[in-house]
Amino acid sequence: MSAAPVVDLESRRAPKPRALAQPILTRAGLVGRLRTMAGIGVRMMFHDWLKLAGTLFGVVFAVLLGNFQMGTFLALLGKNRMFVENAQVDVWVTPPGTRQFQTGNPLNDTHLNRARATKGVAWAEPLVLRTAQLALPNGGSEPVSLVGTRAPRFAGGPWNLLKGDDASLLTPNGVIFEDAEREKFGGLNLGSVRELSGHKVQVVGFTWGLLPFAPAYAFAEQETARAILKEPADKHTFIMVGVEPGADKAEVRARLQEAMGDTKVMTRDEYLSEILKYILTETQIGFSFGTSTFMGLLVGLITVALSMFSSVIDNMRQFGTLKAIGSKTVDLALLLFTQAIVYALVGSLIGLGAVAGMVQGMRNPQLTPVLMPEAFGITVVLMLGVCLSASLLALFRLYRLEPAMVFR
Amino acid sequence: MNDNLTPAIDIRGLTKTYGTGALAFQALKGVDLRVDQGEFMMLVGPSGSGKTTLLSILGCVLTPTDGEARLYGEALHGKKESDLPRLRLEYIGFIFQGHNLMSALSAEENIAVPLELRGYSHRAALTEAREVLTAVGLKDKFKKRPDELSGGQRQRVAVARAVAGRPPLILADEPTASLDAESGMQVTQLLKSLCAERGHTVVCVTHDNRIFHLADRTVHIEDGRIVPAPAVH
Repeated sequence: MSAAPVVDLESRRAPKPRALAQPILTRAGLVGRLRTMAGIGVRMMFHDWLKLAGTLFGVVFAVLLGNFQMGTFLALLGKNRMFVENAQVDVWVTPPGTRQFQTGNPLNDTHLNRARATKGVAWAEPLVLRTAQLALPNGGSEPVSLVGTRAPRFAGGPWNLLKGDDASLLTPNGVIFEDAEREKFGGLNLGSVRELSGHKVQVVGFTWGLLPFAPAYAFAEQETARAILKEPADKHTFIMVGVEPGADKAEVRARLQEAMGDTKVMTRDEYLSEILKYILTETQIGFSFGTSTFMGLLVGLITVALSMFSSVIDNMRQFGTLKAIGSKTVDLALLLFTQAIVYALVGSLIGLGAVAGMVQGMRNPQLTPVLMPEAFGITVVLMLGVCLSASLLALFRLYRLEPAMVFR
Repeated sequence: MNDNLTPAIDIRGLTKTYGTGALAFQALKGVDLRVDQGEFMMLVGPSGSGKTTLLSILGCVLTPTDGEARLYGEALHGKKESDLPRLRLEYIGFIFQGHNLMSALSAEENIAVPLELRGYSHRAALTEAREVLTAVGLKDKFKKRPDELSGGQRQRVAVARAVAGRPPLILADEPTASLDAESGMQVTQLLKSLCAERGHTVVCVTHDNRIFHLADRTVHIEDGRIVPAPAVH
């Protein structure tokens, strides 16, 4: 202990006060109290590094798991929706009962002609899609989802092209394959000649990442595709429609549906929603990923709640002192909410950084989790909600804290 | 006593009962007490005598069951729980048995907290904090956290926190209990001289008979009642 201040006992016995102290009538406003309590809250957090790290771990874990699960779900969803998303088509005429991007009973030329004759339709093109078998050099075979797209528009044609372009498909028997499957398909290269369902084809390009749940997409000009698939010229898997500039897509869709009662007509957005609805309601994918995302959030909630509660218990006397010297429960709420907000923001930042790094690191054509820009905002808002909710348990304990405990 | 001034503390017929029915326990049984402004009073008594209950009511952290209690003329009886924090800020500086400092804050920040709650700007609060820390002999310890200070130094920070901003009433609960004899004496002398100089009224609960002589007056409480001082043999 350092030396105590010298006290003159004589003068102590006959004190001469400059004036008797009087009641203090000034009070801090809400902003002042918030600043004071926020400052204490943050200092308390960083004073206990171990607890801070543990709590942040919970938040980061929730952010990582939630975003990773959501990103993987979106990637899986994208596998089913990628064709509709990328085909540059306004309205789809599909076989009745269509709920995802898959083949059904074929449509015919009557449907195609009715579509072309419908008011507001700028163009209508048939699309052929069926599985073909690619013969491998080793004698085996691998399936591909062969898409027949019609020149010169090439609606529903290849996208994400690494090599070649739409015009490459005009090469006689030219087919564009998926780059990720080159080895699997027996070492494909530009110019390689292979047999596709018994038809000799030449490799004229490669796409990147066009791997649906079904076999990888391969693209050919429609005449070539029909020859490979032995598909009659008047049979079509889908009819793709582009609406006239300024025309209302929903109205055109309604007219097409009226003209073709034996089909299911959907705008692009409706088709995408239909697929999403199908995945969520008819498969376990949505439930499975939703559950694990929820579990991640729950783990975050519980970790933060327990950590904040334990921090309050550990510092009960200090909180009691704060109450005794004039803080109200609402002031302590400001302190806890500040801590919750810091946990949420710092945890989200670290977690999102880690997710972005991981997604970038594991980027591949098979399945790369999708991290949408919206995920950043949603994550922060969600974690703010989680952390603020988690702080309520601690706040409830402080609400019940009697300031008189400081005298016990 | 100075009859011209409103008493700092004026208590009449104060009772406090904990619990109800068969489990009811009456901790205070009609306490009458007057403490003048500027007085340094020690409240002494055995464990369970009602000292802490009386201090808690004076500290506005507990409401009485019956009777009247006034701080500087303002009635405490009949006040709602929600009114009490204002009264604490307005009238009282606390010194606790343990120093009860915020472990994450430095000495000056600990003192600044109640000042900021009273509306001081952060800068003004720190200025005042440094002044009182200097007054208690800790000029070189402004930035030290409690775990970097000795027991006596922590209690001096607690004294500084209590007197900062000049609240009229200082309530000290066994301020020497966690200190050795020498430190206890130094802290009490410091409290006495500082409060005399700054015009605070002090009520100090203590068991420590080595510091009784520093009080202007010693009040004895026993079994919930104020009693005459026991005879010294």
